[in-house]
Amino acid sequence: MLMPEPATIPDANANAGMLEGDLVRHARHGDLRAYDELVKRYQERIYATIYHMTSNHEDANDLAQESFIKAYSALKSFKGGSSFYTWLYRIAVNKTINFLKQRKNKHHISLDDLDFNAEHDPDLVALVSDKTPQRNVSLGELQKKLNEALLKLSEPHRMVVVLHDVQGVSHEEIADILGCNIGTVRSRLFYARQQLQSYLAEYIKT
Amino acid sequence: MNENNDNFHELKRLLKLKQHEVPPPGYFSNFPGEVISRIRAGEPAGSQDLAEQLRGTSWLESLLRVFQAKPGVIGGVATSLCLLLLIGVVLADRPDQEPVGILASSETTPESTPALAAAVPTSADTSGIAVSTNPVVSLQPVATLFSQQQNPLFQSASFAPAGQ
Repeated sequence: MLMPEPATIPDANANAGMLEGDLVRHARHGDLRAYDELVKRYQERIYATIYHMTSNHEDANDLAQESFIKAYSALKSFKGGSSFYTWLYRIAVNKTINFLKQRKNKHHISLDDLDFNAEHDPDLVALVSDKTPQRNVSLGELQKKLNEALLKLSEPHRMVVVLHDVQGVSHEEIADILGCNIGTVRSRLFYARQQLQSYLAEYIKT
Repeated sequence: MNENNDNFHELKRLLKLKQHEVPPPGYFSNFPGEVISRIRAGEPAGSQDLAEQLRGTSWLESLLRVFQAKPGVIGGVATSLCLLLLIGVVLADRPDQEPVGILASSETTPESTPALAAAVPTSADTSGIAVSTNPVVSLQPVATLFSQQQNPLFQSASFAPAGQ
């Protein structure tokens, strides 16, 4: 008597070591496990970029999910001219900017908590020490003031600060993501920093 | 415009604070599962363009989707249809009016315009001519094959041999 073969359980980690290009190719043919791996790889960066632009966890969650869903549905149109990561970033950035334009200036701040390491970061410790112009300021208050100052910037200026100074993306990559030249990225960054510095003058020592 | 400008050193230190902002614990463990389940459910990616939403669906589905998304649109369409229906009912109830002729509505009369006077017969001239509301009166006598009045242009046929 023939016994039925046991159902094979797909190994969730089988895709973990695959190259990005292979994962994209599999995902394009409808392999959701491959796409799941792509989501795992880039979720933190995509979420963080959107969160730093919106200063709102719920909005960032929605927009990040929608960006990944949109990317999956548009995978067939992905020609591979740039990396999947840059292409995905572009989708997330466009979605976020469209969302912020619709919301206009009605900002509702819903900040994520600071991690444990923040209190031990030497740069931040120095900022809240008695050397700063504003003494006895807590990290929580500093976080709120910083987010409010960022929200005062226009979206293109905020985007370059978030991508470069917070996320550490290079000028070249930012230019590729935003579809502008490097000179524009540099000038936006300079202007945005000037603006931020004036908004936060009482919290930073110049 | 040097990016390493020392003037921004303190600002960059302050911006490091953003890197310490983290979502609730376990957030990134659940995130991929939520994305994949939404993809499996076939959900559209939020605020897609209308053109993207309409692509690949029948026109009726597209129309219904537009109405679902915008209740104001279906309200406007319904109001317009009601107005059209109302106008139709009102027009249907009105009694027929005498058509106002083009000549009557204008200041020009056949008498005042020689060209028209020649083209349009006066009331005196129309005494024998049938108009649409009058009985038809023929000006020509009706010639029938069997009537007594023979047409001079033809003769009755004779089957008798010639010479008789």
